[in-house]
Amino acid sequence: MKWQFSNDAPIYSQLIEQVTVGIVSGAFPPGERLPSVRDLAVEAGVNPNTMQRALTELERDGLVYSQRTAGRFVTEDRDMIGAAKQNLAESQIRNFLTAMVRLGYDKEEIVALVRQENVGEELRNGDFGM
Amino acid sequence: MAILECKELVKSYGKAAALDGVNLTVESGHIVGLLGPNGSGKTTLIKLANGLLTPTSGEILVDGKKPGKETHSVVSYLPERTCVPLWMSTRKLLDFYQDFYADFRRERAEEMLQHLNIRMDQTIKQMSKGTREKVQLIMVMSRAAKLYLLDEPIGGVDPATRDYILNTIINNYDPEAAVIISTHLIADVEQVLDEIIFINQGQIVLQSSVDQIREEKGMSVDALFREVFKC
Amino acid sequence: MLRKLLKHEFRATARVMGPLFLVILVLALGANLSIRFMLDADSFIPNLLGGLLMMAFVIGMTGLIIMSIVLMVNRFRTNLMGDEGYVMFTLPASSHQLVWSKIIVSTVWFIATGIVECAALLICAADLDLIQEIFSSDFFFRVSQVIQELVQEYGLNLPVMALELIVLCLVGCAVLCLEFYAAMAVGHSFANHKMALSVVFFFGFQFVMQLAGGLILNSNGLWESFYYLDGMESFHQMMGISIVISLVTGVIYYFITSTMLKKRLNLQ
Repeated sequence: MKWQFSNDAPIYSQLIEQVTVGIVSGAFPPGERLPSVRDLAVEAGVNPNTMQRALTELERDGLVYSQRTAGRFVTEDRDMIGAAKQNLAESQIRNFLTAMVRLGYDKEEIVALVRQENVGEELRNGDFGM
Repeated sequence: MAILECKELVKSYGKAAALDGVNLTVESGHIVGLLGPNGSGKTTLIKLANGLLTPTSGEILVDGKKPGKETHSVVSYLPERTCVPLWMSTRKLLDFYQDFYADFRRERAEEMLQHLNIRMDQTIKQMSKGTREKVQLIMVMSRAAKLYLLDEPIGGVDPATRDYILNTIINNYDPEAAVIISTHLIADVEQVLDEIIFINQGQIVLQSSVDQIREEKGMSVDALFREVFKC
Repeated sequence: MLRKLLKHEFRATARVMGPLFLVILVLALGANLSIRFMLDADSFIPNLLGGLLMMAFVIGMTGLIIMSIVLMVNRFRTNLMGDEGYVMFTLPASSHQLVWSKIIVSTVWFIATGIVECAALLICAADLDLIQEIFSSDFFFRVSQVIQELVQEYGLNLPVMALELIVLCLVGCAVLCLEFYAAMAVGHSFANHKMALSVVFFFGFQFVMQLAGGLILNSNGLWESFYYLDGMESFHQMMGISIVISLVTGVIYYFITSTMLKKRLNLQ
């Protein structure tokens, strides 16, 4: 998993987002044990306290749960993962729409443009730009 | 608990004040960036905490005590430059740290050295600049100290070494301890920090958490630093 | 802690002094061969070789003494005043312990140097025939006789004299170290020209100390009082005063050194 951080948002919220992406994309499959906070922090190159905070937040949302001694696990609730995926998708679309509106497109034009774009080709190449 | 505390701390060299009334508290359990331009007083503050300088006035306390023999056993210090004796071999250096510091974890140091393929009979003199920095950092981070004072640990090293150094710091981070990293290369360390202290012309300008800055100002610490210290 | 400091100080210095001692002993052997076989030979080559060996021996003997002092100075300069000072002054040890570890180790090396120098002279002069002759004759008996006569004649107290000499020697070594340490500790507290200033302070201190010593001794007529004592008493008196003067000098230099290290440490 690749970790990348932008400069304008808190690091812990970016960590929440990226771990969530990891979960919905299957990099961290349902029911699987997550690496330790230290290992995740080293992998992401971030402060362990910040990583801890992000995981605690994810725990509160229910996407991960901890078992006292065994560590942290990804939820097995696939509906919840689906909902998280939906959430991420919606926020991506919102960002996209905001950007398009700023360029001066209206809704119909945007839909037409998306249709025109050869989405199938990119899907086959696995290039999501993410 | 406060591991480092400064009260109205002043250090002047002749007429020039290197530190001018610093009030500061650093709690255990944080990785703190001591950030400021060159000559802002970072090194002076760290030297004072190590008892290498004596305050002109005011007070500095490490773990509740004045810097000295006792605090040295709970502080692990990485100076700006390589300063371990050049004639020593890696093995002798390990002996040295093991003898003087009860909290030195030799196996951990040996493991890290092995990982870098550094031979035990190799002398510090024979090593490249980057390797020397790494070896010294390994010695410093292999101690189970209460306070780590790292003065410019990533100054003048290549990006790969920089990554190694930052990873070593994260990897050896103990939630009970505090790490203070002084640097002017903020973008490189920002993600590793949870707290920052801006220092300029011997005075503390700002002390805050990294995410608080990002949340409130909508910009990175690096960007804020450039704004605050604009020439 | 002092024990650990001593151990590592010995480690750091033995790698210099050990090989030097070995070289001197080998040179002494060379000088011995030169005296016995080469210098008196009838041809030029052995003569030349013998001369060179003798020269190497003399240079080596002087060099060893100089080296033991240079090493003492250098250890303080590099290990405490130089970059290594960052490591040494942040050890869980006091600056007193650091200074004492340096003094003790240097003193031990001075004494070892003295012993090696004597040994080298003996090796140089050793001659099997001569040794045999000494052991087969009543040489040792006669030496002890002479000593006994001296003891009776002048009322010598040998154990006390030996003790006085040993104490004076130890104190002298420590003071020699401290003279240099104090000068360097002061010199290095400045921002620039640290070594040059150290030299200036060294001679400055020497001058002040001698001036002060001279004034004190002359003012209360101590020297004159010696004239009225008989031989042995004046010897003990001299030794006692020398030891006291050395001790006072040492304490002053020690105070300067430790104050500078504590209050005015200025590592670059």
